[in-house]
Amino acid sequence: MTDELLASDEASSTGSFAAEQTHDVLAFIIADEAYSFPLESIREILKHKPITPVPRAPQGVLGILSVRGTVTTIVDLRAMLRVHAQPATRHSRVLLVDQGDEIIGVLVDRVLQVVRLAPDEVEGTAMVSGDLSDYVAGIGRPRSGRGREAVDLLILLDPTAILRRSHGA
Amino acid sequence: MADPHEEFLAEVQEIIEALSRDLLLLDQAQKDGNQQPDLVNEVFRGVHTLKGIAGMFGYQRLGALAHSLEDLLDDLRLGRVQLSQEVLDVLFEGVEGFQRLVGEGETPKMDLDAFAEAIEGVSASDSEPLDGREYDLEDAVLSVLTEYEEHRLRTNAAAGLGLFRLRVKFGLSSIDSDLESLKSRSADKAEIITYLPSADAAGDDSIELDVLLASSLGTGDLVSLFEVDASALRAVPFRAPPPPAPGPVVPVPVPAPVKTRDTMPPVAPEPSLVQQPEGISLRGVANSVRVDIRKLDHLMNVVGELAIVRASVTRLTERLRNEEETRRLASDLHRVGRTFERHLEELQTGILGVRMVPLGQLFDRLARIVRQFAREHDKEVHFSVTGSETEIDKLIVEELSDPMMHLIRNAIDHGIESPKVRELAGKDPIGTLALNAYQKGNHVVIEVDDDGAGMNERRLLETAGRKGLIAADSDSDMTREAILDLIFLPGFSTRSSITDVSGRGVGMDVVKTNINRLGGVIDVQSEYGFGTKFVITLPVTLAIINALILEVDGRPYAMPLASIQEAIVLDPSLLRTVEGREVITLRGQTLPLCRLAELFGSSRPRPAREYVVVCSAGARRLGFVVDALEGQRDIVIKALGPTLRDVRGFAGATDLGEQRVALVLDAPGLLEEVLRPAELPRLGATP
Repeated sequence: MTDELLASDEASSTGSFAAEQTHDVLAFIIADEAYSFPLESIREILKHKPITPVPRAPQGVLGILSVRGTVTTIVDLRAMLRVHAQPATRHSRVLLVDQGDEIIGVLVDRVLQVVRLAPDEVEGTAMVSGDLSDYVAGIGRPRSGRGREAVDLLILLDPTAILRRSHGA
Repeated sequence: MADPHEEFLAEVQEIIEALSRDLLLLDQAQKDGNQQPDLVNEVFRGVHTLKGIAGMFGYQRLGALAHSLEDLLDDLRLGRVQLSQEVLDVLFEGVEGFQRLVGEGETPKMDLDAFAEAIEGVSASDSEPLDGREYDLEDAVLSVLTEYEEHRLRTNAAAGLGLFRLRVKFGLSSIDSDLESLKSRSADKAEIITYLPSADAAGDDSIELDVLLASSLGTGDLVSLFEVDASALRAVPFRAPPPPAPGPVVPVPVPAPVKTRDTMPPVAPEPSLVQQPEGISLRGVANSVRVDIRKLDHLMNVVGELAIVRASVTRLTERLRNEEETRRLASDLHRVGRTFERHLEELQTGILGVRMVPLGQLFDRLARIVRQFAREHDKEVHFSVTGSETEIDKLIVEELSDPMMHLIRNAIDHGIESPKVRELAGKDPIGTLALNAYQKGNHVVIEVDDDGAGMNERRLLETAGRKGLIAADSDSDMTREAILDLIFLPGFSTRSSITDVSGRGVGMDVVKTNINRLGGVIDVQSEYGFGTKFVITLPVTLAIINALILEVDGRPYAMPLASIQEAIVLDPSLLRTVEGREVITLRGQTLPLCRLAELFGSSRPRPAREYVVVCSAGARRLGFVVDALEGQRDIVIKALGPTLRDVRGFAGATDLGEQRVALVLDAPGLLEEVLRPAELPRLGATP
């Protein structure tokens, strides 16, 4: 059953989760839930810096930050994930995520660790409610006992879909 | 490594620009009745190169077009086709075609078949021989000449020029420079047809050449021109007309030139283009480097970062200065910091300099269009250009192309009258269209000036009234400038019939918007019956601008100084409301206000003390109400990312250092946004 779902999902998604490969993802926390981006899409992890808000920007855009001279757009996934905003803490980080035509900063509450997922540790998106699925690429279920903070359920996010989302808003 | 495809596009662009220049020189030469065989050759070579690289990069249609043009040019240089305005039309159209084909994707933008027919129309039917006169050269020489060289011989013979053989001896080590000097000596006095190896064997380290040259000068003049021994120069007589009698051939002495006409008049403004065609491309390649502008942007970023580092060093130095035991160290550090700053400024100026290109690049392209449109509309136009050496940011030049083209089309279509009308008005039947560029402080000014019909205020007012752009009775209180500015309103066009030239659905409002987007301003002056002048003022560069840093809702913003007229403290007692909009009276004029905090969606209470930054774009003014003024400084504008590009009101952002990033306000855009809704329904047709 799981394999079938995975196969059908694969055909329609960006293909970043091929069945026979292992996947390295960077796991992080937003509003007490664990999410991840593919490790190869992560360019940098920044400490939280003051973000300049941009009036009249699309929903979900927090503002801009200068990263070594390049003006970078920072988004807050909370608005898309429909969770309430929380003030930044000393654990807050900005992930610079390469989304193809733009490197975007994503504000997260806490960065966990890199998780290597075996093919049988990835599930398709049928579990998640329909509205989420266009930027959720799958669910990771790492077998417990690895890393400092054990994570047993990870939502795998598709970075390119998140960019489309903030354009459309 | 640069992308080879981009390299290809850049090279094609260079070739097209060179072709345009050469064709314009040819056009001038043709009108003056001169021959420019070297120029025809230059064009032929350009087209040939284009054909080659187009093939390499798979641009088949481009290659095909180059190929057909190449045939025509070959006929031209071999004298099978005579250069005429009709032939030039086809050549110009061909170059235009190159431009279009390079930009064409899946949808063809050019009908190659129709163009092939146009070429067919002017191509050689069958070569008619020139007049029968020939030089008396021995068969051994004739047999080694190329078809082109034979053609040049025939042409010169027909023109009655003398032919000479000059024996020269060059050292093998210095042959290149010797040949150069020979060429520059002959310059416009003699045409070198070919070099023949001398019959006499030369020594090991030298070579003897027989130079075949045609000239209107006599033997004596040539001997002194080339500073050679009289024995080295021999005149080649004309061959007697063939059939008369098979009797003994009487050598005809070299006749004195039939008419003393310069074959190469000193018309060429760029002598290097006309002579020594071989050297040009090589020199160009050796001394310049093509750089992707993004690399320069990156360097500019680094300079911006260094400036921020420099500011931190200054702060640290201040702290050291306050401590008794580190005061000496602080003043040393201060000196080092100053040196650092000086070099940094040099670096910044250097990088900005690299981005600069002369406006001539753009003007050359426009000259082609002037010629084309003047011919299409049967207008006689003298196109004059000054200041083409004026430099401006490469990105600005790119964006200027469309608006300038539109202004020029307008000037020819609406401005300059037909020769007949001009004569009736007592004007020179040839109209003048002048492009003048010059630098003025931190700005570049470009004027587009025609001596055509000028604008009729009455008609402008009528049109604007009819189209509902102004209230019917508003003409009495409008200044002349305000009336002329009507042409920049969207939906304004005085011509009722849409011509294919100016009426392509874009009006002066688009020209204005495009120029505003570059941080520039366009003004118009016109005198009815005497002509129209557009004056465009642009920043020299977009990379670094002078800006006023101001504060709205606790956050810094940057307003380009170029848009600001003045900044004043807001006196609340002067506030009035007109149609729901706050205004103040500033020096007798009503100034509409815009509270930036409210435009940006803030609901904070207004601070006790506020400021008004008065901005203008063209003739319109608006006062932005802000919370505080921080002072002016040079800023490096960074583009916002794709996600934020559609957000209105901002031209970019800039890093102020100390982790502060300010949005750069787009004054012309904001003015447009704030003022437009109020202007349109002014006719009184309130919904």
